[in-house]
Amino acid sequence: MKSEPRVDLAVRVGSLTLRNPILTASGTFGYGDEYAHVVDLSAIGGVVTKTVTVKPRAGNAPQRVAETAAGMLNSIGLENVGLERFRDEKLPRLRALEATVIASIGGETPEELETLLRALGREPGVGAFEVNFSCPNVAAGGARYWADPTRLERTLAQLKPLTDKPLIAKLSPDVTDIRDTARACERGGADALTAVNTFVGMAIDLERMHGKLGKATGGLSGPAIKPLALARCWEAAAAVKIPVLGSGGIASGRDALEFIAAGATAVQVGTATFLEPEACTRVLGELRAWLAANGIARVTDLIGAFRAEPAQEASAARNGEGA
Amino acid sequence: LTTRERAIGRAIRRARVASDAAAAAPAVARRTWKQSRARVVSQREYGAGFRWLELELPAGFVAPVAGQFVQLLLDFPSPVLLPRPMSVASTRRVRSKLRVGFLYAAVGAGTRALAELPPGASVSVTGPLGRGYPLHEPGSPVLVAGGRGVAPLLMAADELARSRRQCEFVFGARTAGLLIGVAEARARLARGGSRLHVATDDGSRGFRGDVVGLLAKLAPKLERPVVIHACGPHGMLAAVARWAMANDARAHLAMESVMACGTGVCRGCPLPRSSEARARVQAEGAAAAALKGNPEWAMCCTDGPVFEARELDWERVS
Repeated sequence: MKSEPRVDLAVRVGSLTLRNPILTASGTFGYGDEYAHVVDLSAIGGVVTKTVTVKPRAGNAPQRVAETAAGMLNSIGLENVGLERFRDEKLPRLRALEATVIASIGGETPEELETLLRALGREPGVGAFEVNFSCPNVAAGGARYWADPTRLERTLAQLKPLTDKPLIAKLSPDVTDIRDTARACERGGADALTAVNTFVGMAIDLERMHGKLGKATGGLSGPAIKPLALARCWEAAAAVKIPVLGSGGIASGRDALEFIAAGATAVQVGTATFLEPEACTRVLGELRAWLAANGIARVTDLIGAFRAEPAQEASAARNGEGA
Repeated sequence: LTTRERAIGRAIRRARVASDAAAAAPAVARRTWKQSRARVVSQREYGAGFRWLELELPAGFVAPVAGQFVQLLLDFPSPVLLPRPMSVASTRRVRSKLRVGFLYAAVGAGTRALAELPPGASVSVTGPLGRGYPLHEPGSPVLVAGGRGVAPLLMAADELARSRRQCEFVFGARTAGLLIGVAEARARLARGGSRLHVATDDGSRGFRGDVVGLLAKLAPKLERPVVIHACGPHGMLAAVARWAMANDARAHLAMESVMACGTGVCRGCPLPRSSEARARVQAEGAAAAALKGNPEWAMCCTDGPVFEARELDWERVS
């Protein structure tokens, strides 16, 4: 029997090596163990856990989710178990499952993020930290607060000494130019970026003249945002030298490969998991099969393959910088 | 087997062992749900705008119990993105495969597309999900159904009949025409020795009034404790819950919510906890089961969909 050509799927995010570039997106995979009976967590690139804050958060009042065309709005409000239970209950279970864990942390102030990193920064079993600078659904410390490049740079510089693990800054797409926030994070010492979080969106129930969510706006995710997210990811990746994790509407191996071609080092599967709990496993299989079929021996060979296209790059530079 | 296949096999076994070890930790329920392909066996009109759907699932799919639900996902191209939570109305084994029945109304884009599916078509089903009715609870079981809420309760009546227990079955609707499948319900209940009691708001059939009025009339004749299992519109469930709390009865109510994942991870389907439940969750603290530690909100999908009356704040249930 002819064996499948071997494809090297390992990628590096700062000092962390991922066995492959398929991660779960924060907030769509719980703390990992919820899906451990259907997804082999040790086979995917890693699990990005639900954003944890210093104190437990109860989250927003209903409705928290609403379906829209090819996507969904959410307004969860960072419901989570809080630092203590995350460290004492969730992390040990993830360690037992042999998952590469990227712990998502969120704070209303730089000081809260410092508290989290002081507590978790040297915790065994955490491979990296993703700093959620982009939640669209909280009153304080959300995407708008963290859209300020100076604040991002200063905060990351404060956080950096608190851990040896890579710091990944998760960015909001709802900024005038994502290259500004991306570069600020790089200057501040971020080891990688995640591009992007959900887009601020809304939907109105006309008969009740009320938002379809409990709050007027929420974060839009799913296939609807994939082209938008891909463009932001491409812009961010072109603006910095650090790795970028692509996120936004990824539901297939081809989706993942588009992000990688646009400059992403790895990708996150999010909303697709709500339809198909094993989505990340399938995406990984499809990605591997495509690379093998196209004779690409290392996934890293494809990173930024599209960005390197000279004609496109020149015209994009004109469009981006010229106006 | 190739070396690679052996390596994959080892990895899967290792993951299973690790998963089992993790699941063996105290206070964490073993998860049995999974996603499977399902085949449409039949669909038929059930009256009053409702349809009966029967799906065939693989033998390995764990049979849902009354009150549990599944997430039904249409194949691409579907007019909707997310799966739809569907309450299970019946289960039976046919040549080792599992047949699951659903009662639904084609009211939205997703259910209209579902209604179009011919026998032989396939869909994806994730389940069984959530907590069903605790039918083993000692006492006199009274099943209370409002409108299309009848489906999981007929299943509950069958489950009770299998363990040789009888029940009082209270079936209410606005008017006689909305007593969906009442003839079938009467026949099924009679086979198990149970009794059907009908209430209509307009008095067009049975007791004139709501199910709570009929419940109040019926309850004094029953041996205590009375244990209610109910399904129907939230307004009706709130009324049943209040009656139960005022009359020293237990009531297990199957709630509904918009959902995304259905498995507890997205935190998208909150229901307000009662102050009593809030205090208990806080007291349990770290000992509480995984993800159940939110003192403010219970998740419909994993904490429910069946809740005892005292668990929820009925003033704030919408």
